[in-house]
Amino acid sequence: MNKLRRAINNSDLGRFRFYVQLLFFAVLIYGGYLALNLGNQLPTFACLYSDLHGGSCYLLGFQHQMVTPWPEMFGGRGIGILIGLATFVAFFVVFNKAWCGFICPLGTIQDWLSSLRSKLKIRPASYSEPVFQRLSRIKYILLALLILLPMAIGNSFFGLPKLSHDWGVPFCMICPGRTVLPLFTGDFSQLAIDLSSTTKLTLTALGMAITGLFFLGSLVKPRFFCLFCPMSALHYIFFRAGLLRLTKDGAKCTRCGNCYRACDVGIRAIADDLESTNIVKDDCMMCGKCIEVCPEDGCLRVKFLNLPVYESSAEGFFTRMERKNNGK
Amino acid sequence: MENERLQRMRKTTRLHLAMEAEETLQRLEEFPERPAAMEYFYALFRRISNGDGLTSLAGEGKVIATMCMQVPQELILAVGAHPLRLCSGANAYDQVGAEFMPAKSCPVIRATLGMLKVNYSLWGDNLASIVIPTTCDQKKKACEQLTNMGYPVYSLEMPAGKDSDLARYYWQESVKQFAHDLEGLAGRRLTAAGLRGAIGKVGRAAALFRQLHRLRGNRPPLILGSDLFLVYNAYFFDDIERWSAAVEALTAELEERRQNGVRVTNRRAPRLLFTGSPPIFPNFKVPVLVELSGGIIVADESCSSTRLLSDAVAYDEAALNDMVPAVADRYLKPCTCPCLTPNGDRLRKLVTMAGELEVDGVVYQAFSGCLPYEMERQQVNEVLSERGIPMLYVETDYSPEDSGQLSTRVEAFIESIKARKRRKVRTK
Repeated sequence: MNKLRRAINNSDLGRFRFYVQLLFFAVLIYGGYLALNLGNQLPTFACLYSDLHGGSCYLLGFQHQMVTPWPEMFGGRGIGILIGLATFVAFFVVFNKAWCGFICPLGTIQDWLSSLRSKLKIRPASYSEPVFQRLSRIKYILLALLILLPMAIGNSFFGLPKLSHDWGVPFCMICPGRTVLPLFTGDFSQLAIDLSSTTKLTLTALGMAITGLFFLGSLVKPRFFCLFCPMSALHYIFFRAGLLRLTKDGAKCTRCGNCYRACDVGIRAIADDLESTNIVKDDCMMCGKCIEVCPEDGCLRVKFLNLPVYESSAEGFFTRMERKNNGK
Repeated sequence: MENERLQRMRKTTRLHLAMEAEETLQRLEEFPERPAAMEYFYALFRRISNGDGLTSLAGEGKVIATMCMQVPQELILAVGAHPLRLCSGANAYDQVGAEFMPAKSCPVIRATLGMLKVNYSLWGDNLASIVIPTTCDQKKKACEQLTNMGYPVYSLEMPAGKDSDLARYYWQESVKQFAHDLEGLAGRRLTAAGLRGAIGKVGRAAALFRQLHRLRGNRPPLILGSDLFLVYNAYFFDDIERWSAAVEALTAELEERRQNGVRVTNRRAPRLLFTGSPPIFPNFKVPVLVELSGGIIVADESCSSTRLLSDAVAYDEAALNDMVPAVADRYLKPCTCPCLTPNGDRLRKLVTMAGELEVDGVVYQAFSGCLPYEMERQQVNEVLSERGIPMLYVETDYSPEDSGQLSTRVEAFIESIKARKRRKVRTK
């Protein structure tokens, strides 16, 4: 058992993650070929607009449900909404934020673009901490909008007129998942601007612009889009219930900052917070890069139900760095 | 033109240095059960102290000399130059320095500048630069003094703290500039492959250092702390691969000792943590006294030995644009030098080490003239007494004059720890 644990801790998590991402990408984009479907409440961007999807994102259905007029929402239909939410949470708690780092197809595409950039020897952009903090608020605004806008279709806020049904799934309209993921099945139809109404025109045009930004941004900045992701904001409400956890033992930390520099989403607390045990932050995607570069035994750990899955160790650190230094 | 006086001075200091070094080495050799692998280090120090000192190492290839451990060694190795840390612990050189330096200045700076003054003509053209990070005030001012002596000086700008993003950014930019300037100094381009190789060499040394650190903490002790100071001091100037090979042999021998139950001192010897101003060969006055009096130094926190040595560079992408900042981070973020403010990490490190290695007491050496260490004494004392760990604070310098008084204090400290331990055993 100890031998196995040592082998795991010495292993290259990045490589493992690459293959897991590949597997889930195949399942979520092409699962339809095998009649595979993981349901419509997945806490990740598997897109219903992509025809062969092997499961789909919770946000689409969630936005639809938010259209429900309030009397019904607090009546019988509310139960359906709650069941949907419960399914979403049940999926989420198993892998916690690892849904972002290991499963999300949009995240995977961004990681591919990042390695392309690295191969082209283009310098990655980095933001200072205050910029990261300012950007990370945007996702909460998006989350609020994707709840409030559909609500304003079925209900009237402060006596204002109700919104048109064109606002039905506002986030999907601007989400790069809708435009990008179908491309992998040869479907280019989402790369279009809908001229049928002003609302649709605005939303789809914005969607096209964001798609462009998605490609450009993630070529410059690792996991660029994740900083704005409302799914990540929704995750963060439930992260404390996560069965998979990222924990830190502050007493073992030397604040060397290796983890902070490895972090694609610039979480500084990982290096400087010595008090928190559960160190998952809203932008965290549990990719485990911080654990790989931590040279202190047992300082950073991934645990599943308190069982250590992967933890930092001096031996693992030096093994991995040696491989890297030898150009492998 | 070099005047006669300087030549005479060089001759006498060389003699003094050789005597001083021999005395320290002989005192170390008198301890029982010295590991055979230590022979390499004894021979190395004998060779250097009997010749012209560090200048003799400037034989082949470009030398980038440094006056602090905070100069990124990986970059120097990557451009094919030999990093050489000059910090001197010789009373002989301190005497020279005292002639032109203020009486209240730090002996490390005084001795180093004294050495450079008296040996100026011995450095060939290979000395490309002396790199001095702007850490404490005395090092900053040393830049000007050395420039006036005629040395090529590079002052590496460093922030006064390390916590803010601004400080990190400032240091990274400073190191990037240094990497760029190094290419000119060494006459070779910095390449990603070269830097990867250098990071690998230093990383290997860091891994070995960690092994050594674990072994020295063994109960019962396998090696003297004073011997280890010699090993860490050799890292100042020795070829890194030779050093790593010698340390590998040493760790192998210590591992064997651990299995065979060989020990250097009795089981109940008080286990001590050494911290403060750096013991630099041949000034091992305090550590040798401590171990002669029956204590054993099982860990230390000072810039001539363990500080930063256990930290290794971790880069994400193997391109210079990520590796150079990663190298910069290694020299700032984990640093616990008292010139940084705030320096809570040093306190945390001391407390952690004291706990992990179950030390019975702490020996705090402060060189008179080193204000940052003198000022941190109070904070260290506070966190230690909260945990019931006794501390001996020694203010000293390189001169042998205070030896008598020192040995009385050290002996009393160690006796009091022994008495405490006996009481503890009895009450159990």
